[in-house]
Amino acid sequence: MKKTNRLFTVLIFIFLYIPMAVLIVGSFNTGKNLAVFEGFTLNQYRELFRDQDLLALLGNSLLIAILSTAIATAFGTLSAVGIYRMKPKLRKAVMSLTNIPMTNPDIVTGISLSLLFVFIGTGLLGQRQSLNFWTLLLAHITFNLPYVILNVMPKLQQMNPALQDAAMDLGCTPLQSFFKVTIHEIMPGIISGAIMAFTMSLDDFVISYFVTGSQFVTLPVKIYSFTKKPIHPKIYAMFTLLFLLIFVLMVTMNLLQLRGEKQKAEKRAKDESKAMRTFKRVAAAACAFILLLGSVLLIATTRQDKVTLNVMNWGQNIADGSDGTMDLIAAFEEAYPYIDVNYSEYASNEELYSKLSGGGLVVDLIIPSDYMIARMISEDMLLPLDFENIPNYENVIETYKNQAYDPENKYSVPYTWGTVGIIYNSKYVDEADVTGWELLWNEKYKGQILMFDNSRDAFGVAQYMLGLDVNTTDKAELQKCADVLSEQRPLVQQYVMDQVYSKMEEGNAWIAPYYAGDAMMMMENNEDLRFYLPEDQAFNLFIDAMCIPACCQEKEAAELFINFMCDPEISGANMDYICYGSPIAGADAYMEDYLAESEIIYPPEEILKRGQSYGFLPEEITRYVENLFLQVRLN
Amino acid sequence: MEFDGERILDGINLYFNDHEFLTLLGPSGCGKTTTLRIIGGFLTPTSGRVLFDGKCINDVPPYERQINTVFQRYALFPHLNVYDNIAFGLKVAKLPKDEIHTRVQEMLEIVGLQGFENRRIDKLSGGQQQRVAIARALVNRPKVLLLDEPLAALDLRLRKDMQNELKRIQQAMGITFIYVTHDQEEALSMSDTVVVMDKGRIQQIGKPEDIYNEPKNAFVADFIGESNILDGVMNADYKVKFFGRTFRCLDAGFQPNEPVDVVIRPEDIDFVDPEAGHLTGTVTSVTFKGLNYDIIVDFKGFKWLIQTTDHQPVGATVGIRLNPEDIHVMHKSEYSGLFGDYSSYSAEYDELTEDADDEEE
Amino acid sequence: MKKNKSILLSTPYILWMLIFTLIPLGVVGYYALTDPETGVFTWGNIRDLWLFAPTLGISVWYSLVSALICLLLGYPVAYYIAHRGATAQKILYMLVMLPMCMSFLLRTLAWVGLLETNGIINQFLNALGIRSLNMIGTPGAVILGMVYNYLPYMILPLYAIIVKIDSRLIEAAEDLGCTPVQVFSRVVLPLSMPGILSGITMVFVPAVSTFYISQKLGGTDTMLIGDVIERQFKSAGNPNLGAALSLVLMLLVFVCTGIMNRFGSDEEGGVVV
Repeated sequence: MKKTNRLFTVLIFIFLYIPMAVLIVGSFNTGKNLAVFEGFTLNQYRELFRDQDLLALLGNSLLIAILSTAIATAFGTLSAVGIYRMKPKLRKAVMSLTNIPMTNPDIVTGISLSLLFVFIGTGLLGQRQSLNFWTLLLAHITFNLPYVILNVMPKLQQMNPALQDAAMDLGCTPLQSFFKVTIHEIMPGIISGAIMAFTMSLDDFVISYFVTGSQFVTLPVKIYSFTKKPIHPKIYAMFTLLFLLIFVLMVTMNLLQLRGEKQKAEKRAKDESKAMRTFKRVAAAACAFILLLGSVLLIATTRQDKVTLNVMNWGQNIADGSDGTMDLIAAFEEAYPYIDVNYSEYASNEELYSKLSGGGLVVDLIIPSDYMIARMISEDMLLPLDFENIPNYENVIETYKNQAYDPENKYSVPYTWGTVGIIYNSKYVDEADVTGWELLWNEKYKGQILMFDNSRDAFGVAQYMLGLDVNTTDKAELQKCADVLSEQRPLVQQYVMDQVYSKMEEGNAWIAPYYAGDAMMMMENNEDLRFYLPEDQAFNLFIDAMCIPACCQEKEAAELFINFMCDPEISGANMDYICYGSPIAGADAYMEDYLAESEIIYPPEEILKRGQSYGFLPEEITRYVENLFLQVRLN
Repeated sequence: MEFDGERILDGINLYFNDHEFLTLLGPSGCGKTTTLRIIGGFLTPTSGRVLFDGKCINDVPPYERQINTVFQRYALFPHLNVYDNIAFGLKVAKLPKDEIHTRVQEMLEIVGLQGFENRRIDKLSGGQQQRVAIARALVNRPKVLLLDEPLAALDLRLRKDMQNELKRIQQAMGITFIYVTHDQEEALSMSDTVVVMDKGRIQQIGKPEDIYNEPKNAFVADFIGESNILDGVMNADYKVKFFGRTFRCLDAGFQPNEPVDVVIRPEDIDFVDPEAGHLTGTVTSVTFKGLNYDIIVDFKGFKWLIQTTDHQPVGATVGIRLNPEDIHVMHKSEYSGLFGDYSSYSAEYDELTEDADDEEE
Repeated sequence: MKKNKSILLSTPYILWMLIFTLIPLGVVGYYALTDPETGVFTWGNIRDLWLFAPTLGISVWYSLVSALICLLLGYPVAYYIAHRGATAQKILYMLVMLPMCMSFLLRTLAWVGLLETNGIINQFLNALGIRSLNMIGTPGAVILGMVYNYLPYMILPLYAIIVKIDSRLIEAAEDLGCTPVQVFSRVVLPLSMPGILSGITMVFVPAVSTFYISQKLGGTDTMLIGDVIERQFKSAGNPNLGAALSLVLMLLVFVCTGIMNRFGSDEEGGVVV
């Protein structure tokens, strides 16, 4: 029985460690796909150390973890002493209060805190930006406190209460007796509480995800936004290094403990107390240093002469210097050295809308799609632009000006335009089936079809297939679309947005409706992929345009950014990366030829004619569609 | 003194003299530790005053009082070694290093722990820890040393040694010791003055001999040693009547025909032939105790404990005589009728459970 | 004097916890009872909740199954660790802790790579001549993800309890005629009950509220209540419905932990990490 138990334990450990082994092996892989080992390389590590942004994110995580742990440990220890001295009834009440964040699911804690901060910050104080570094720190302290208290309390209870009396009897004031006696007794509890708080804080994703704003993001939150896209293997390299670090830390801690226990038996107490004193001094110095560093960093980040421009864009929607393209943000910052661009991303128009309407953010520039622009205009969420600051506006091709979503062109300047079609894997999909939107309903490909995970695009696909008006407000028609989507559901592998990249590129799904530009990028990575616009059916022709949201604080800088993007050379360089159509005259001259000549990006005029744009839908219909879609997803 | 709304101490009026060894004696929960904690400054009385050299020290915190304490189970600091434990108070007082050193060495010598300076506390035996606790308190040269059941955790032999040791130290240092214990033997053998307490009240103060020989009420009589306590009536001075007979005694000053408690110590009773005795009864149980026999005798349904070296078989009819000096008469008190009946006698009589924790908070 | 100090020491903490745990829950309640557009009082969000009853059912079902699997897998491991020598115990304990300190997002992502249609496991099976299995997107994959992520939360409290069981009790049971099976069922199992209950709670609570695991490993049928809530806040723009849903989730968790505590002894602090 013992043998089988050992075997079983070994198997469980293998189960626990295999995924980590996969990630570690992935960090030495030349390819991006975890499942295919293409060759050994150390490049990912090089890339990692070159990526200042990623290291800065790690720094953010450490800063929050260290600060919140230090504060929670000091605060929690003192509070524990106070709670310990309470009358039993009151103590019980306070301890159940302490247990709330421990038993509550993280998601509820995160949501409740974020609602509180927005409620106070935006609702009561009228702040634009109510979610920021400080709210994140407060949240981390809050969920760290119980760990400290629950670790210190038992030590206090185990402690002989007469020790404190003895210290006072021998001339200590209560404060002295705490530092000379009590703290030594409860030190193991303080240390284990602090370690627990630190690891929890460092690895926290769920609570941070809800509580953080756009300016200060921790590593796990960023990783979450990464994992929607094909993740860069340098992240695996970072994982490997962190794994090694934590492994080494844990082993040394254990060794020290083991050795300490042996030493206790042999060594004399005098040396130990000396060691303790040195340890205390070092620890105090380290704490002081960390606090100092933290405050310096804070002052450094909060007090800047520079203007910070918060740009929010779709994922992978600006040239970033990778694969030989131009790094446009760097170029902009070079052109305007006093402006610092803080760039963040969203995955859908709806997510952007949620973020802005939820409050708690400062965003200076956004790039929503047509129908969302119309909605935002109708809800007064956008500021009119000052075109004096955007002389390059004259470069915009007339076709893309004064569109239905912004008839007088007061609020937006086109950024890109494109089409929505179907991308499929020619290795698995029969060319004969490639006709219209029906391909997405083809039983033959059950389980290999991906579908949009946002209501507007998903309903759009249904409407185009059924030949219905894409901007309808007729609830019966919408219900019909929902029915069609429900029929499709059993065939669908997953509802996705950015994840479509990895799924399609790695051949784990065969068919997906998606944006033409993204399709081009996927096709570069997998030559079996093809893209088509349905024959004889309508499809979505969309325009993404740059707008300034009402919560903007640096309007002039934002307009400079818009102007910068309307430069033909810049726009062309940008299209090299994002593979969409440029609305800027002359931009094609700066694009690579295969893009400028591509029929996917610039479809022939007669096909383009079938394109239909999304228009503005009333709030009630939007919510109705949203609800229908949720029902489709759930049933 | 009230605690959590409950009256813990009531009407305590105590004087401590210089150089005195005073013991607070009582069962657990009697308020003796509370009294000690008030003197030490760990508790503040809800009413009443604590005077020290004529000054009220009610509001003086413990760390400013010239009083030190040897705690129950010692409360030595486990993170410090012997030397640092003893030097603790001196270091807090920021004395110069060499003075600390000489005083600690001096103390180590007094308690006989030279050479143990660097020993960890958990590597000491109970008796050694005890000595460190005493040294740690005395090194500060307090005017009064409080000792809270200091010997409770030691085994019997060690306890006897330490009793002598403590007495020796007290005499050598010449300071006041206030000693708390529930062990009557300890109290009687060490103290100059014994204060018997129960239910938060002082029952009797006096020299050990007086307390033993002249208990003031049934509680003291029962708590100090063994006692047979009987209902009686004081017919007149020096005449007390119980069991239907009038005995001569040495007590006077009672109301005529006042109901009283009569105490007869078990070791004061001698067997005589049944015909020659004042009283006759039947032996119901005999236990060999080493020095003597504990014999329970039934007198008209009331059972007495008699300690004697004469063996008597169970069932034997015996007679006893009572001399006037063997009979102590006490006024009736709230304790009357609660003690002194050996009807439910068992061999392990009245071993006090060491449940001292009850009297802490 | 002492009393005042303790109040002085703990008042900031009590205030802090009131402001950052109790009041936020009140704010959640406030959002749950107001209309997303007009901000006036409404029962609408609460009324809409019944639509999500099936989702809630699925979430609870998956989490319970995961918790039970964790118990079945974790108990022998905890038992094994608890009966090693002191050094081995420390090392094994550390090895159980270690995965908990690593990014659970990335570890879950690794499972995507393992379970995909063209993933590592299927490549392996193909190499052995076995046809590919359809694993990703199934309820099994989601439960696997939960079991994988939360297994240490089961092992650690179990270990903490089992290691405390006095070996003399086992000897006593043997002495009184128990077979090994009886020793286990009559002595060891009842004594490890507090650990089992706290382990189940510690697996169930995060599992029932997860959204990441189902997003990555799940398919079209495995949307969990956590997904719906996350969606309300992060893309659907209906925090009021999201708040109502979180209220339900919280209630569910408190009821579950309450039941667990009732079954278990009054053992305080189920938190062992």
